[in-house]
Amino acid sequence: MQDSICSLFGIRYPIFQGGMAWVANASLAGAVSEAGGLGIIAAANAPAGYVREEIHKLRGMTGKPFGVNIMLMSPYADEVAELVADEKVPVVTTGAGLPTKYMKKWIEAGIKVVPVVPSTGVARMVERAGACAVVAEGGESGGHIGELNTMALVPQVVDAVSIPVIAAGGIGDGRGVAAAFMLGAKGVQLGTRFLVAKECTIHRNYKNKVLAAKDIDTIVSGRRLGHPVRSLKNSFSRQFLKNEYDNTMTLEEMEAFGAGALRRAAVEGDEKNGCFMAGQISGLIKKEQTCAEIIEEIFAEAEKLLGSRIQ
Amino acid sequence: MKSNDTLERVANMIAEFRDIDAAAITGETTFEDLGFDSLDTVELVMAFEDKFGISIEVNQDLKTIGDVVDMIDKLVE
Repeated sequence: MQDSICSLFGIRYPIFQGGMAWVANASLAGAVSEAGGLGIIAAANAPAGYVREEIHKLRGMTGKPFGVNIMLMSPYADEVAELVADEKVPVVTTGAGLPTKYMKKWIEAGIKVVPVVPSTGVARMVERAGACAVVAEGGESGGHIGELNTMALVPQVVDAVSIPVIAAGGIGDGRGVAAAFMLGAKGVQLGTRFLVAKECTIHRNYKNKVLAAKDIDTIVSGRRLGHPVRSLKNSFSRQFLKNEYDNTMTLEEMEAFGAGALRRAAVEGDEKNGCFMAGQISGLIKKEQTCAEIIEEIFAEAEKLLGSRIQ
Repeated sequence: MKSNDTLERVANMIAEFRDIDAAAITGETTFEDLGFDSLDTVELVMAFEDKFGISIEVNQDLKTIGDVVDMIDKLVE
C-alpha cells in the first residue's frame, strides 16, 4: 500500500520536502534526497540560470532522485518549465496555478509530474492531464495556502482520483504521518520541520523564530489580495494586515510592500521587515537535527503508531 | 453543433451549478460576473469536458462564456 510512492519515485521513505522559496536550495534538497526522501529545489521567482545551478550542485551531492518545484506565478515559469525538461529532472511539483499547459512536454521528457492541489477539481484535472500523483496541501501549511484544511481536503482528494495522494499541511512528526495515512494518503510532504534542519541554510533568526513559536503564532495575510500567505507573526505581518484592511493602499502598493519580504527573512534574518513563512505546526518543532535524523525519527514513530512498516 | 445550442446548454449547466438564472447568461458574461473564482472555473470546465466529451485547456483566454462556447464548438466539430 505505502509501497506505491516509494517504488514510483525510487525513494526509501514516502516523504517529499516542500519546495519553499528562498529556503529549498541544493543544500537542503540534496540532504533530504541522500537521506531517502525526495528533496525538492524551489524555483520560486528565480530565473532558469539559478535553478540550473542548484540542480547541478545537487547532482554533485547525490545520485538519488530529486525534484524541482515550479511556482506557476513566477515571471520565469516558462523558461524554468523548459529547463526541467532539458535537464531531465526526475520529478516536478508545481504550485500556485494549473500546470496543464506544460505537462505534455514534461511527460514526453520522462518527468514524473506531481502538482500541489487545493481542491478535488484541480486534482481531477491534473490527473486527466497525466499527473502521476498529487500533493493535497491544507491551509495549515506555511507560505501560499488554499481554502481547505488537511483533515477535510485529503480524504476528499483521495476519493476523487485514482493516482496516489501525498498529504501536506500541519504534519510535523510521526503522528501527523500516521494520520495522513489514515486519511488515505500514500505519502507526506513536510516544509516547516525542514526549516530547522542542519542542512537548511536560512538565517539563524528565522530558525530561532520557528523554534520559539507556539501554536498560535502564525497568521494568514493577503486574503483580500486573493493570495493568502501564512507566516509567523511579527511587525511586518501586523503592518501588512493593517494596510490590507484599512484601505489606504492600492493593490499594486500592497504587492510592492510585500515584495522581497521573504528574502529579507530567509537571507537577511530581518525580524521586523521580513516575512517568516511557516506552518501552524511550528509550535511542535523544538529540535535542530539533520535531515536524516528528522526522516528516520518521524517514520519510526509513524510505524510504531500504525503497527506496520512504511517502506 | 450550432453556437446558439451550445450557449443554451452551457447556460443551463451554469444555472444548475450555481443557482443562477440561465436567461441572464450571454456570450459576454464573464466568470467574474458569475462570482466564480479560479477553483470554481476548474470545476465548471471539467463538467463541460464530461458533458461534451472533449478536453479543454484552462488558460487566460477563457474569460467569457462566449469564449467557452467558441472553444466547445471548435472541439466538437
